Amino acid sequence: MMTPSWILDILAAVMLLVAAISAGRLVAARPRAGSAGDADIDIAHLLMGIAMAGMLVASLTTLPNGWWDAIFAVLTAWFGWRVYRESRGQGARVLADGHHMPHLVHSAAMLYMFVALNAAAGGGGMGGMGGSSGMAMQTLSAPVVAFIFILWLAAYVVLDLDRLSGPGHGRGSYFAPALAGATAGTGSVSLAASAVPAGTSAGVAAGQGAADGSHPAGRGLLATGSRSASARALLLSPRAAAGCRIAMGVTMAFMLVIMI
Amino acid sequence: MSDIAVAGGQAARRDSASAATADSWRPPDTRRVLQLSLAVIWLLDAVLQYQSFMFTKGFAQMLAGTASGNPGVIASPINWDANLVQHHAVLLNTIFATIQLLLALGIAWRPTVRVALAASIAWALAVWWFGEGLGEVLNSAASPVNGAPGAVIIYALLAVLLWPSDRHAATARFAAARAVGAPVARALWLVLWGSLAYFALMPGNRAPQALSSMIAGMASGEPGWLAGLDNHAASLLAHRGLAASVVLAAALALIAVGVYLPRPAARATVVLAIVVAAVIWVFGEAFGGILAGGATDPNSGLLLILLAVTYWPTRTAAAAAQRAGAEEATA
Repeated sequence: MMTPSWILDILAAVMLLVAAISAGRLVAARPRAGSAGDADIDIAHLLMGIAMAGMLVASLTTLPNGWWDAIFAVLTAWFGWRVYRESRGQGARVLADGHHMPHLVHSAAMLYMFVALNAAAGGGGMGGMGGSSGMAMQTLSAPVVAFIFILWLAAYVVLDLDRLSGPGHGRGSYFAPALAGATAGTGSVSLAASAVPAGTSAGVAAGQGAADGSHPAGRGLLATGSRSASARALLLSPRAAAGCRIAMGVTMAFMLVIMI
Repeated sequence: MSDIAVAGGQAARRDSASAATADSWRPPDTRRVLQLSLAVIWLLDAVLQYQSFMFTKGFAQMLAGTASGNPGVIASPINWDANLVQHHAVLLNTIFATIQLLLALGIAWRPTVRVALAASIAWALAVWWFGEGLGEVLNSAASPVNGAPGAVIIYALLAVLLWPSDRHAATARFAAARAVGAPVARALWLVLWGSLAYFALMPGNRAPQALSSMIAGMASGEPGWLAGLDNHAASLLAHRGLAASVVLAAALALIAVGVYLPRPAARATVVLAIVVAAVIWVFGEAFGGILAGGATDPNSGLLLILLAVTYWPTRTAAAAAQRAGAEEATA
């Protein structure tokens, strides 16, 4: 019994797009020592996009499943550590509101899928789940785990959408840096912004100020620039990262349901 | 120059929530949390609808099966729809799944929440007829244990109760009353749970082996632990159909009238409703059969739990303001 292959092709294309955006974000950000920012998240998105495309369409398989097992085990451990660090400041709130918690769940879900597929294949190292005519129905040994992951992934998808469209985000500050650059065509260049420590509220305000010139650093951001800087700002915007996360969450939930 | 741009970009790319939260993002209120929970369930429905089985003729046969026992005027459109799905299974199922995906995303995206909730009501009513045969309420096969009065009608009910309007917010004692007012919300609760109590006592459900057979039938294809739970519950209820139905009906009737009681008793009623719904979801519905594959939704138990939470009694906004004022005056 198969899911139509064109659905899998579309999802694989979306995942490759996610991987490309994530690679673009890594290149555009060029994190320097001491200011790595969210590079780990973009790396995780890049790897997940490539891995999921390979699971959906066999011809896009890149690495043996065993390698992916190891990669996602490392990512799960890494984000587990990041969540632990975060929880020391926020407590149990990180489960719903933590910055790294969704990525821990995504990494763990990927690890679960690859381990389950390997087990189902008897360690034979499946090249992918997709065949020439569609995705073969897999049987998981612990479907309840898949069900929990599906609910968790779905919850993060709707939370992301709610935040992106909420007050202060949808029409205002949350998207401001990207929208400002894209619409004004002036780019986002600022000496002042570079002096603001990344991740601080002042840094965020500087980025937000680019939209309306309300922040001194933001006024600088609007000063000069180019279309390439606008594109870079769009690529680096929270909206791009959240869009990738939403696309991956929906696709992962789909894949888990298929595997139940 | 590019380094400068990068630095600005890095400040901007401090993704998400944690950075921007400090500035302006506020956690959603109770009703918004409930709306998001409804969106999660619609999203679950959407991915379930993309399962391989749904693209086969088996899905059309499942739809046709709901026509059985219904009056002709109800059954004929169901058969027509099933026939259509049989001939265009891939196209129509893709459309069905995508509609549900859009409903989920639309409810989660604030600017479209009204449109999505309104569309979900229309979609739910259509599915209730064409996909669930009106929950079998007209053919005497409805039982609260197997999903009566149709899981999908509860989606529509939740969309109405969680409608983003605050016409009655000042006097609302629970989230479900904010849009439609407490009298209407309580009446809807009474009708739903009262009908479940009625269904529990129907002849087909109070037969000695009725409940036991129903629960045992859910064990097929489930993981070992869940099949074990179902089989154990089925053996406990064997030949005790009448007694079990009476107890269940009494609990459901108590729940139905409980929202009219004072707040402490109303809270106890809501807790009872959550417990009963959870028992139905686990033992009677086996999580909607999701773990066995081929399910289209999580069935009614999960929706009943969500519905019960929307009736959790709190202080009214007016009372809270009055209390705050009194405390301020005392201070």
